Amino acid sequence: MQTPIYYPKAEFIETDTGNKVSRRATISGPQNIILGGKTIISNGAIIRGDLKRAGPGHAVVISLGRYCLVGEGCVMRPPYKTYRGAFNYYPMKVGDYVHIGANTIVEAATIGNHVEIGKNCVIGKFTIIKDCAKIADNSIIPPNTVIPALTLFAGSPGHFVEDLPESTQEVVEAHTKSYYARFQAAER
Amino acid sequence: MTPSVSYHCPCLSDDPVPPPPNAPSSSYGFHPLHELFFCEECDAVRCNRCVSVEVSGYYCPNCLFEVPSASVRAEKNRCARNCFMCPNCRNTLSVVPSDPQDADDGRSLGANLSAVGEPPFFLYCSFCRWDSAEVDITFEKPTGLAAQLQKFEDSAPDSLEFERLKEHFEPFLRASSSSSAAASLSGHSHAAHAHATPVNPITAAASSALARDIPGVGKYTPAPRGRRDKGARDEISEYRSRVEVKGTKDGSNVDFMRRLEEVSQVAAFGQRWANSWTTTLHSSELKPLRIPLHSKKTKRCSACRHILIKPEQKAQSVRFKIKLVAANYIPAMTVAFPPSPDPIRQRGAGTKQVPTEGASGASGLQAGGTFPFHLALTNPLYDPIHVRLAVQRPVPPPSSSSSSASPEKARRPPFAVSLPQSAFPIAAFAEAWEYEDDEDMFVGEDDEFGGLDRERGGGAGGGKGKAVGVLERRANVTVVGGEVVVGRDAKGPLKFNMLVSYTYRSDDPLAEDDVRATPSRKEKVPEMKTFSFYTVVDLGTIIPRPRTSASEVV
Repeated sequence: MQTPIYYPKAEFIETDTGNKVSRRATISGPQNIILGGKTIISNGAIIRGDLKRAGPGHAVVISLGRYCLVGEGCVMRPPYKTYRGAFNYYPMKVGDYVHIGANTIVEAATIGNHVEIGKNCVIGKFTIIKDCAKIADNSIIPPNTVIPALTLFAGSPGHFVEDLPESTQEVVEAHTKSYYARFQAAER
Repeated sequence: MTPSVSYHCPCLSDDPVPPPPNAPSSSYGFHPLHELFFCEECDAVRCNRCVSVEVSGYYCPNCLFEVPSASVRAEKNRCARNCFMCPNCRNTLSVVPSDPQDADDGRSLGANLSAVGEPPFFLYCSFCRWDSAEVDITFEKPTGLAAQLQKFEDSAPDSLEFERLKEHFEPFLRASSSSSAAASLSGHSHAAHAHATPVNPITAAASSALARDIPGVGKYTPAPRGRRDKGARDEISEYRSRVEVKGTKDGSNVDFMRRLEEVSQVAAFGQRWANSWTTTLHSSELKPLRIPLHSKKTKRCSACRHILIKPEQKAQSVRFKIKLVAANYIPAMTVAFPPSPDPIRQRGAGTKQVPTEGASGASGLQAGGTFPFHLALTNPLYDPIHVRLAVQRPVPPPSSSSSSASPEKARRPPFAVSLPQSAFPIAAFAEAWEYEDDEDMFVGEDDEFGGLDRERGGGAGGGKGKAVGVLERRANVTVVGGEVVVGRDAKGPLKFNMLVSYTYRSDDPLAEDDVRATPSRKEKVPEMKTFSFYTVVDLGTIIPRPRTSASEVV
């Protein structure tokens, strides 16, 4: 196999479905967060499941698909707005095979499948990212931006750079799967 | 930098052999594998530079509306809904209502606000805080804004002038396009019409637009058409412009520039060029822009016109009706140094830990050292293949030859690469791999594990035997070891061209035809076919040795 990325075994909690969640990540409102399986939440990540819609009971606030990676120091919090005079949080949905680089802040409404987000990015409120899109490192995506499928966005404010190759889906899928396979507990 | 392998597409030159990897032209001919296509008909690799592209559909990148191609022209290739671009920062604008009137205190008013808010509405940039009230654009309703703005656009003098020009030439254009169609029917067709079989309305419009003659512009069609055009040109009356161009405009710009206090007062080129017409230089007067449409594209092999990429109709679908990518036809290769501390981007790379002596790839390629490397090849085919690797002899970079004292020494290549010289097998790709069966298939061949180890990389430098040969075979991946001996005076990037030939069992005994761009020939066994392609392997940059050191390593 490929060179493994080792982590101290005590540092991560592994769930039955293969999710690996760092003990050093801040998971607020875990009952409102869904992880699809084989998803890695890195050290120092903050996931705000506690910011839910007003009202009783619990609702899904943040859902992540399979083979996702939330990088070190990432902040994921649901988008919010005041609509008809009422302030509310809105749920965030992230698809499968999504990698989010380190220190990126995500307030997107929807992120599709096979999406790559670089490090040090800011994904503004209610951003919609379609399948197989890519956001380069250090990009600032302003609120309400729509990022079409198979496009590369970069810059501040982030805008269209180029179309991605047609085989992006396979490339990203292989990359995310191999990353999960390489992410192993150190034998100690 | 991680070592990489790029694949050659021979479309840029007639010579199937790529230029040496240190030549400036080299980087244009090589691409990552996942960007390449494969034409089954021509049995050749195609890249984005040598496919022909057609638009298969238009959509707005913001509202993702699929625009029917009929209305694209009327809407001037821009979104006709509510999508606008900030003239300042090119961000998407949002429609916002005016602040509600403060009755007593804003809080109590919130409840009886309408869903859309209070008019007048204006466009607001959430990134740079530009708003359309700055240029006196406000709306009574938050819908159908593009139609309201397009009225402004269409009433611009430039636009009116252009419309009049079009009107003026319309009868002539109609005559010439119909005559060109007639010409193509009667056999007087040029290259664009030669393969006119797959025409959709868009390509037909595009090709007739290309084919039409513009008076005064050199024509590229053969003589019989020129005669007819001459007749048509004479019928056209003289065009008179609506407004006389006056020289005062430039003067005011000069005046404006003279009084400039801040650079940001001038609209940058990037802010102006997205406009259809010449716009003002004053950045404070820039108008919001309707967002230009994007398109989905169909790609064809330029040689045989077969479709390589055909996207699904739906704009945001990432599936393709037809997708012939090279990764499904030719082996994927990854290169790594054995300890491989940098694991990113090496999918499918087999990097089994092998004890290496001395310097490792991690510490860099130092001049005068010997470095083993691993090359992992993945077979995408459902049949086992035999691969043979051949290294193109590296040539010294021109800079080193000028600095070296003796010309004979300059001739020496800066490094030597040894790779297994005999063919080695890679098992077939399958959902469930059956290792034993695959081994049996090749039992008659002499390139079993031990055999290869014995006959390691021959003449190219005294490599250490253990490193060269087949190191690992599992599933449809075979890892071979190579070794590079870096000369003492070497410097610059360590890149070499490598010819990869693989033999596979072909299902259809297709006759050879001379269209093939890539050398491929038949083996003596009729069902076996060989396909060859060039790659460039980039192992990194050689770290020059300190001048003082004189010890022989090689």
